[in-house]
Amino acid sequence: MNRFLCAILFIFSAGSAGAALPVKGDANKGKAISARACIACHGPDGNGISPPNPDYPKLAAKQPEYLLKQLKDFKAGKRKNDIMSAMVASLSPDDMSNLAVFFAEQKNKPGIVNNPDLLESGKKFFANGNPDLGVPACTGCHQPDGSGTSAYPHLAGQHAAYVYQQLKRFASSERDNDRGLVMQSLALRMTEQEMKAVAEYVASLK
Amino acid sequence: MKKAFLTSLTLTLSLAVLSSAHAAPPQQPKAPGIESPDYVWEAQSGEEAILLKMKGNAERGKIAYQGCQGCHKPDASGLPDGAYPQLAGQHITVLIKQISDVREGRRDNPKMFPFAGKHVMDTQEVADIAAFLNRLPLPGNNGKGPGSDLARGKALYQKDCVTCHGERGEGNAEKFYPVTKGQHYRYLVRQITAIRDGNRRNANPKMVKVVKRYSTSDISAVADYISRIGPGEKTAK
Repeated sequence: MNRFLCAILFIFSAGSAGAALPVKGDANKGKAISARACIACHGPDGNGISPPNPDYPKLAAKQPEYLLKQLKDFKAGKRKNDIMSAMVASLSPDDMSNLAVFFAEQKNKPGIVNNPDLLESGKKFFANGNPDLGVPACTGCHQPDGSGTSAYPHLAGQHAAYVYQQLKRFASSERDNDRGLVMQSLALRMTEQEMKAVAEYVASLK
Repeated sequence: MKKAFLTSLTLTLSLAVLSSAHAAPPQQPKAPGIESPDYVWEAQSGEEAILLKMKGNAERGKIAYQGCQGCHKPDASGLPDGAYPQLAGQHITVLIKQISDVREGRRDNPKMFPFAGKHVMDTQEVADIAAFLNRLPLPGNNGKGPGSDLARGKALYQKDCVTCHGERGEGNAEKFYPVTKGQHYRYLVRQITAIRDGNRRNANPKMVKVVKRYSTSDISAVADYISRIGPGEKTAK
């Protein structure tokens, strides 16, 4: 009985730790893997392809801890995506670390704003959230410039349509690999319009 | 026996939620509070007792607090309209008790629970955050009341509040009485009202007795007075 409870407590504590461990990898090896496996969708430097396809997120300058977690989650089926599941099937743990370090080192190129009329409300929501319903300001975790920390991903310049799509998936619980299900909780409290506006604002951040 | 069964049932269900194909965020639990006949305000829950014995690290707490600052702000000043309270300089004991009570459902707060629950932060992080917040200086510029009834507010405070919350609203760490100085007027109004009316289920019954006969204007007056107690001063202007 005691051991069972201990196991439960361990699982709870393991799942909720804040900062991730630093990633050790070889960016050159990562570049070589990327050139054969990732470039077609994510571009040569993780800044996407031309013309831009928002189904495939930009990866440049994201924290290596975040990129590695997503790759691991795809591999374990914790984050579901048919294309990515196939992609990571052939990647070893070292491959994934190398890729994470490679993309993290790339320079982030500016995003594209298609609906500038949403920027003002997007900026306001990003900075304030919604105190009535309890949506935290995005700045709290993702930082005012959208650069994130080792615990919360860099967002600046991401494809607006991709950000919107992920917020929708968090809200529907379709995406549930967010630590503590926090993104789900707050996305549930957002309107369509707020999601669109904040996504547009994120795309405008440098 | 029943308690152990309920605890393990809750844990099992929570685990099931976390490991299912599309996990959804858990709801805040509802634990017995002041409405329950054997309520003891000073009783320390399992996690609270552990937290009170832990050593919190303020540097680690600053990092863990990133998950809180989206509402409570980087300087823990909250919002002047009182939607989120000011937390800077609060007693570690008070922070630990209140956060535990939210995590375990003795203080109803569905707004906050998704960001502070046990499925988000572990026990050490709570201890660290409390240590971090306690050290923060009072930001100032808290939300104040209308300023129209301060003489009555002062009289009420001197008569009813000083004994526990102190001349300068400094509270009492050992007795878990919060610092009230520097708090937002509208947050104070909301909490005192909730304590009076039984909606704050982790309230101290002694305090409920004190404010039981307070009218809306009494609450406003005393909250306004408290909101104006200056950082270093004994009394409000």
